[in-house]
Amino acid sequence: MAALLRADFTTLWRNRRSFRLVLIVPLIILISWKGLIDKLGGVFVLSSCITIGLTSIGLMGYSNSIARDRDRGVFQRLRVGPVSAWTIMISRLSVQIAMIVLMTVLVFVVGYFVDHIQISPAGYAAGLLMSMLGGAVYLGLGQAIVGRIKNPDTVNSTTRLVYFVFIMIGMFGEFGVLGEVIEKLVIWSPYGVVRKVLAASLAPATWSLETTWALLASIGYTAVFVILGVKWFKWESK
Amino acid sequence: MPDPILEVKELNVSYGAFQAVKDVSFGVYGGEIFGLLGPNGAGKTSTLSAVEGLLHPVSGTVTVAGFDTREKPLHARANMGVQLQATSFQPELTIAEIIRLFASIYGVDLQDDAVKRKLAEISLEEAAGKKISQLSGGQQQRVSLVISTIHDPQLVLLDEPTTGLDPQSRRQLWERMEHFRNNGHAVLLTTHSMEEAEAVCDRIAIIDHGRIIAIDTPEALIEKHRHDPEVLKVVRKGKVTLEDVFIGLTGTAVRP
Ligand SMILES: Nc1ncnc2c1ncn2[C@@H]1O[C@H](COP(=O)(O)OP(=O)(O)O)[C@@H](O)[C@H]1O
Ligand SMILES: [Mg+2]
Repeated sequence: MAALLRADFTTLWRNRRSFRLVLIVPLIILISWKGLIDKLGGVFVLSSCITIGLTSIGLMGYSNSIARDRDRGVFQRLRVGPVSAWTIMISRLSVQIAMIVLMTVLVFVVGYFVDHIQISPAGYAAGLLMSMLGGAVYLGLGQAIVGRIKNPDTVNSTTRLVYFVFIMIGMFGEFGVLGEVIEKLVIWSPYGVVRKVLAASLAPATWSLETTWALLASIGYTAVFVILGVKWFKWESK
Repeated sequence: MPDPILEVKELNVSYGAFQAVKDVSFGVYGGEIFGLLGPNGAGKTSTLSAVEGLLHPVSGTVTVAGFDTREKPLHARANMGVQLQATSFQPELTIAEIIRLFASIYGVDLQDDAVKRKLAEISLEEAAGKKISQLSGGQQQRVSLVISTIHDPQLVLLDEPTTGLDPQSRRQLWERMEHFRNNGHAVLLTTHSMEEAEAVCDRIAIIDHGRIIAIDTPEALIEKHRHDPEVLKVVRKGKVTLEDVFIGLTGTAVRP
């Protein structure tokens, strides 16, 4: 297990392009929204950036790496050795969880120093915890996508599309520019619920009944995505 | 006779409604190179995949070194070294990192100098820091074989290991297989090359349309079928070869 983890971390690190992309996009948004903080509130900005980071980890980082390695036969080679399928998966997921922690902490740090967003220590701790929970929603979604789609190029374009939609939603949908119905849909979408839960955990005093519903919805989305993703998943790409 | 290291009994493998392997039974003993010989699509890879645990057979049993592959999959896999038909290692890792990864997976503790020695054995000392894609086909093949046998397994499974190799690399691989055999290991290889089957295999099974149609030594197979009318029809220059027997038994139709 330790050897597999080391290999998976090395692989992640050597895929510089996607490694940077995953970390840089939320930070760019964070920095470019600096002027809007008074209007939107620091908590809204932080939670949006983290949610976008989480979607890119689950969709781009996780599902693309799985689709690619499955197509190359990397998993089949591991599977003929004395390792269980779960060990292979847990190692892969651990790498992504580490990415989630790194991304969240970076957003906190940059938010603090560049955007001067300050929240309570309890907020940071709860935010980090909820960030991992929110990450599960998108790792699950990524799993469902690699489960359904086998071709790595199709996985790549699908995840890019979903990611793009999430970013657009994240930036405009919740402001109501797209109409009331869309706004409702966005709020209860896998994007909206995660952002809402994150926002409330960053400012624990604002946690409401609606946040609890959003939390339950996040757990529900995760369960559905993971069940489908595991059910559909095949280790070979043929 | 001692127990076979690999024993396959009445194996059936299906992909949906299509049955790729039908009632296949054979054993491979320590100290022999056993060839699974068949045209494309005959079911060679499917048979090996069932042995390796990559797919669940519809029925039949497989034991490796006494372990049932369904009841004790990890034990069975710990006793086999596998080279897949289309293997790929993580392209982001260096050769030394890949070797160390698989060594730990198989529970072998390899220090840096041991990795160097392994690479020296296959004359690839300088490749330690290279990525797999920077090696030639023959070199990749050597790395793959070193990894397959890193834990000195009782059973070595090689799926078309010499396809695409130049004659020198092929000869070198044959010698390595013979080396394993002479050390008492059981080697199972698949091939569609008659020349290879005749040159290195102690026994062969001819498989076609998922069924084994003959198992014996290459010499005995030629002897047994030399007077078959189907074989005589395809003989060239009057001398019966393994290829004539193979074509006589499997028919002349070209496979996709
Ligand atoms: N994953 C699969 N799904 C459906 N059919 C398959 C699959 N793998 C192999 N087959 C079919 O099973 C048959 C045997 O294939 P295979 O075992 O790969 O043959 P060989 O290795 O002898 O060339 C072929 O007809 C092939 O098309
Ligand atoms: Mg094959």
